[in-house]
Amino acid sequence: MLPFIVVGLVTGSIYGLAGVGLVLTFRTTGILNFAHGAVGAASAYLFYALWITHGVPWPIAGLVAVLLFGTIAGVLIESATRHLSAAPVSTVIVATIGLLLATQGLLYVVFGDSFKRFPQFLPTEHVTISDVQVTYAQMITVATTVVITGALTWFLRRSRLGVSMRAVVHSAELLDVVGTNPVPIRVAAWCVGCTMAALSGVLIAPTISLDASLLSLLVVTALGAVAIGRFDNLWLTYLGGLAVGVGASLCTKYLGAHPPFNGLAGSVPFLVLIVVLLAVKGPRLPVPLGRIGGTGGGGSALPLPVRALTGSVSVGALFVVPFVVGPRLPIYTNALAFAILFMSLALLLNTSGQISLAHSSFAAIGASTFSHLTVGHGVPWFLALLGAGLVVVPVGALLSLPAIRLSGLYLALATFGFGILMQQVVYATSLMFGDEPFLTAPRPHAAGLDGSSDRTFYFVVLAIAAASALLLTALGRARLGRLLRALGDSPVGLITNGLSVNVSRVIVFCVSAFFAGIAGALFIAQTGTASRDVGFGPQQSLSWLAVLAICGSGVVGSSALAATLLVILPAYLTSISQNYQLIIYGAGAIAVALLFRSGIDHGRTFGGLAAKSEERRRRHPLRLTPAAPVGSPR
Amino acid sequence: MRSTVTAPPAPVGGLQIEDIVVRFGGHTAVNRMTLAAPQGRITGLIGPNGAGKTTTFNVCSGLQRPAGGRVSLFGDDVTGRSAQHRARAGLGRTFQRMELFDSLRVEENVALGREARLGGAQPWRHLVSSRTESRAVSRAAAGAMQLCGIEHLAGRRPSELSTGQRRLVELARCIAGDYRVMLLDEPSSGLDKGETRSFARILQTLVEQRGVGILLVEHDMALVMSVCSYIYVLDFGQPIFEGTPVEVSTSPVVRAAYLGSEAVEDSISAGPNDA
Repeated sequence: MLPFIVVGLVTGSIYGLAGVGLVLTFRTTGILNFAHGAVGAASAYLFYALWITHGVPWPIAGLVAVLLFGTIAGVLIESATRHLSAAPVSTVIVATIGLLLATQGLLYVVFGDSFKRFPQFLPTEHVTISDVQVTYAQMITVATTVVITGALTWFLRRSRLGVSMRAVVHSAELLDVVGTNPVPIRVAAWCVGCTMAALSGVLIAPTISLDASLLSLLVVTALGAVAIGRFDNLWLTYLGGLAVGVGASLCTKYLGAHPPFNGLAGSVPFLVLIVVLLAVKGPRLPVPLGRIGGTGGGGSALPLPVRALTGSVSVGALFVVPFVVGPRLPIYTNALAFAILFMSLALLLNTSGQISLAHSSFAAIGASTFSHLTVGHGVPWFLALLGAGLVVVPVGALLSLPAIRLSGLYLALATFGFGILMQQVVYATSLMFGDEPFLTAPRPHAAGLDGSSDRTFYFVVLAIAAASALLLTALGRARLGRLLRALGDSPVGLITNGLSVNVSRVIVFCVSAFFAGIAGALFIAQTGTASRDVGFGPQQSLSWLAVLAICGSGVVGSSALAATLLVILPAYLTSISQNYQLIIYGAGAIAVALLFRSGIDHGRTFGGLAAKSEERRRRHPLRLTPAAPVGSPR
Repeated sequence: MRSTVTAPPAPVGGLQIEDIVVRFGGHTAVNRMTLAAPQGRITGLIGPNGAGKTTTFNVCSGLQRPAGGRVSLFGDDVTGRSAQHRARAGLGRTFQRMELFDSLRVEENVALGREARLGGAQPWRHLVSSRTESRAVSRAAAGAMQLCGIEHLAGRRPSELSTGQRRLVELARCIAGDYRVMLLDEPSSGLDKGETRSFARILQTLVEQRGVGILLVEHDMALVMSVCSYIYVLDFGQPIFEGTPVEVSTSPVVRAAYLGSEAVEDSISAGPNDA
């Protein structure tokens, strides 16, 4: 057991260091950087390129990749995020997710996506301490992280800049008034944070390998540590990192050979994250940057005739598609299924301003249930489709529990943790994908309906998508839509007018989960097979969110656009590889957030919005009250 | 047959709080506050900044749980009940920092005063509304907007409006909710003189025509003195005085609490006394 504890402590110390950097920038800027791990990944690639490819001695490569790169990344991110306080919380989150995706894509494009081993650069000689071999590399790693965490704590407590850093998040304006410019302080925080990320990336790379996706996941492991530190305390975060590292290592030893729990080791950070988020009272968590409220789904600014025209032209086009696109038709069918998925996500994001990063899990549950019902139990096709949607509803209700307690950033984190937990533990159970390499599902065969023809199946999916769109539009226009949009703006305003807002929150998650389940079932029916390794990971949830964010703040229109962007365009622009797509989606999501800088409120972009955004900025210069300040003195 | 149970000499209906205590950590924000806001009258709650007025409001409406004491609404003990329950029982309120729905139009904001209550706690009623309900909602919204004189703003969004107009929207939302008791938190701050006068008229109309009870937290002493028929005075969380406007304006205790704030003193002495 002891060797596992040693290994756990070493990796845990790196998680801790990454967590410390994450907390530092979060506490100073109010932005939780989803791209924290991606910065570390980029640094590891740079280090590798300098050291291995160009033969630069590793200490120099390390200085460049950690200090220089970390500083440059910090300055860049700060300048990009400086004016985000006028944007909704969800937009701020989407921006850093965009940075994560774009960085991953960029790394793959520049350095190639073939597997590369990352050699240990620190001395690997070892000493034996009570029967356990400990390498110098391991000792140096732990010592470095301890020293840095200690130095940072001292710096924040004692130095003038450190104290200003702690103050700036509470009131940047106040700091400005007393004569300290908040901008350099934020720059410093981003630089220190990114340098921490870079260092942890370089340190962890030898134990992982050079892979942008895997290295970027460092941020999610760090989140477990950050949660233990309650998003606030540096030493607790560091100790949290150690605990997560040791916990994961012990899980590998004792549960590694016992499916489905062999995935548990990787999920320890998320279990910790979810438990902490559910246990700690929301108002006690630090308040993230950003305006509270939806992304402004108050309807399109386009005049009704224009909308009616575009609507009817698109519907007309959808009827013509099967007769003109030839063998590409399955792509369009897939896009229709994706449109349903995006509508379910848009109901949450654009109508009620809540983020779900678990939608890939919803779709996976829908897909696997559909397969079990049709292939396993011979349930008729349409009944099974309904079943696949209904099965996900209780899961959505379960996920609405964090939505009741948490909002904005913390809800996003809880759903993200849930999604990863699902993928690593539940996907492998026989309830879902089990041991099968892939699951199969049929297409509909009913009286006079032969779904095996692509054209017939296209029309079936088109009908389902149209029905979903009509239903969701009707719900959005009915009382629920008004309540949800109001909920994004002011939960207190609704509560004091007699509404049980938690009921609304549960309902919206259930409805959203239902349609995501339907979409998942259609995915598997369209391709005929689905496996747990492709298409249903948390990475997909991130990309989907970024793509939807690019496409405006409506429900039906934005979803149609998002499906086009994600599914149809790549089928035509085959010269653009998946990695370039990642860059485009990521950059798009960042651009949408940055538009708030220039006072453009996307969604209602057309018309005199600059003045309105200015007014909003005036009213909420840096709104730092919790989402639902129930019971707090005003 | 006559009941032998002696009820407290409470005014019929309305809101009552007794011996309310609120502590934030070691700090006692409100200490043994007792007040009654019956229907059919405008009751004032005044006091210097930080006296605990808004905290008292939060206790009344259920956003703040008191450490001790009792809140009753129309004769029922609601101390342990949620804010939404109290709203459904007929208690409405506005906020010093207005809690408006900025992504909805003004008319939708106002309508939600009634619609949120109709949604209540039943899932099905969150989803859809019946035709009769919809008609009742739009009637209530139209009436409230007319009373507040904001019909011309119906299609605008609250974020485009001035503070005074936003206050009227929030008041209209409260009126549309058809509440029997309304708590208004600093409704006149940010209003100019003309707006304040029409505000006072709206309040009086509500009380006279609909028999609504109003509890008013206000800094504008002239407004308080002119519209309230009974006033409670808080200072550092302690109730220090209660009485009619005349009694309040002549009370040495109240004067002492406001000492140093000449503007307030002036407006106290410029109360109905001199009028």
